[in-house]
Amino acid sequence: MRALGKAASDDDRPLIERVRRGDQDAARTLFERYFDRIYNYVYARLGRAEDAEDLAIDTMTRSLTRLDLFQDQGVAFSSWVYRIAHNATIDHYRRHGKVTLVPLDDATLPQSADPSDLALQQLSNEDLRRALRDLTDEQQQVLILRFFQDLTAAQVAGIMGKSVGAVQALQHRALGSLERSLQGRAAN
Amino acid sequence: MTSERQRLEALAERLRGVDPMMPSPAAKIRGWNLVSAAVQQSATVHSRRHSVKRLILAAVAAAVLLVAGAVAASADSLPDSALYPLKGVVEQARAAFAFTPADRLTYRLDLARTRLTEAEAMIARHRVDLAGEALNAMNDQLNAAAALVESEKGSDPALATDLENRLVQAIATHDRQLAGLQGQVTNPVAQNAISQARNRAAQTAQAAKAAGTSGNPNPNGKGQGSGPASPHPTPKP
Repeated sequence: MRALGKAASDDDRPLIERVRRGDQDAARTLFERYFDRIYNYVYARLGRAEDAEDLAIDTMTRSLTRLDLFQDQGVAFSSWVYRIAHNATIDHYRRHGKVTLVPLDDATLPQSADPSDLALQQLSNEDLRRALRDLTDEQQQVLILRFFQDLTAAQVAGIMGKSVGAVQALQHRALGSLERSLQGRAAN
Repeated sequence: MTSERQRLEALAERLRGVDPMMPSPAAKIRGWNLVSAAVQQSATVHSRRHSVKRLILAAVAAAVLLVAGAVAASADSLPDSALYPLKGVVEQARAAFAFTPADRLTYRLDLARTRLTEAEAMIARHRVDLAGEALNAMNDQLNAAAALVESEKGSDPALATDLENRLVQAIATHDRQLAGLQGQVTNPVAQNAISQARNRAAQTAQAAKAAGTSGNPNPNGKGQGSGPASPHPTPKP
C-alpha cells in the first residue's frame, strides 16, 4: 500500500504567493500536501514516531513562515521543504547523537551469508528500516527519497544539490551497503 | 547465484514495497494548529514590516524629490536668493566632472559668464554690493582660467595656445558686455565696480598673452596656482 501522493512543484507557486499574504487556506493545502511525506521521510531517518512528529511539524512551520528565504533559493518548493527536513534531522542527530556515522563501504561487515540467499520477501518493513538506518547520512537520504518517497533521480538531485549521475552512483552504492547490512543482520 | 545488478534491483523493488509510515490523526491536528498559528503570526509581522518599509520608502522618495526640486530651482537663482548657496554647491560638484584641461577651462569660463549675468541682474535690482561681489567672483574665475593656461604651457604648448585663445576671446566678449552695462548705470559705486572688473579682466588677458615670456599669468595675485577660485561670491540675501 502506497498512500503518499506525488510531490507537487509548479502548482505550489500560486499557493505560496497566497500564504505570503497570510492566506490560511493556502497554507492548509500545502500542509496537507507535504506533512505526511515529511513525516514519512523523518520517520525513516529517525525511527521514532514522537521525534518524527515534532520534526515534521517543525519543518512545516519553518517552510511556511520563512517563505521570504525560499524566494532567494531558486529551487522547487518541494526540494526546499525536503532540505529543511534534512537539516532538522541533522540537528536532531547532533543534539541526541547518531547510532552509525561510519560509512558502510569502509566498515567491516560479516560476509558469511550468500547474497543470493537473502530472502527479501521475508524481511519485515521494520527490518528494512532498521538496516537502512545503518547507512551513512547521504545513503539513507538517497534511498528514502528514491524508494520511500517515489521521487525521480532528478528531483533527488535537486534536493541533495548533486548531479543526476552522482545521485545514481550514490544510489548504487547505498543499495550495496544496505544489502551488506541486511546480510550482517541475518548472520547475527 | 544471481548477478549483483539483479540483487540490487530486487532490493530496490522491496524498498518500494515498504508501506509508508503515516502520522496519527492527532499528530496532524496538533501539527496544523501549530503551523497555522505560526503562519498567522508571521503574516502579521510581515504586514507590519511592509508598512514600515513603505513608510521609509515614501519618506526617502519625498526627500529625494525635495532635494532634486531645490537643486533644479537653484540653477537659475541669483545672489539675493535663499537657494543661491545650493547653486554654489552644485557648481563645485560640477568641477569633479571636468577631467581634461579643456574641460576645466570651459568650466571656469562658464562660471565667469554666469557671475557676469548675475552682476547684471543685481545692478538691475539696485543691489550694487552683490553686483560687486559677482564681478569679483567673475574675475577670480578668469584668473583661475589664466593659471590653468599657464600650467599647460610647460607640458603641452599647442594645447596651451588653444586654451589661451579661448580665454582671451571670452574676456573680450565679457568686456564688451561690461562696457554696455557701464554705459547704462548711473550709480557711481556700480560704475566703479564695473570699471575695476574690466581693468582686472584686461590685465588677466594681457598676462595670459605674455605668460609665454614672463611666466606670470596673473598680476592681480588672485586665483593663481593650482587651488581653484571660489565659483561664486558669498551670498547676501
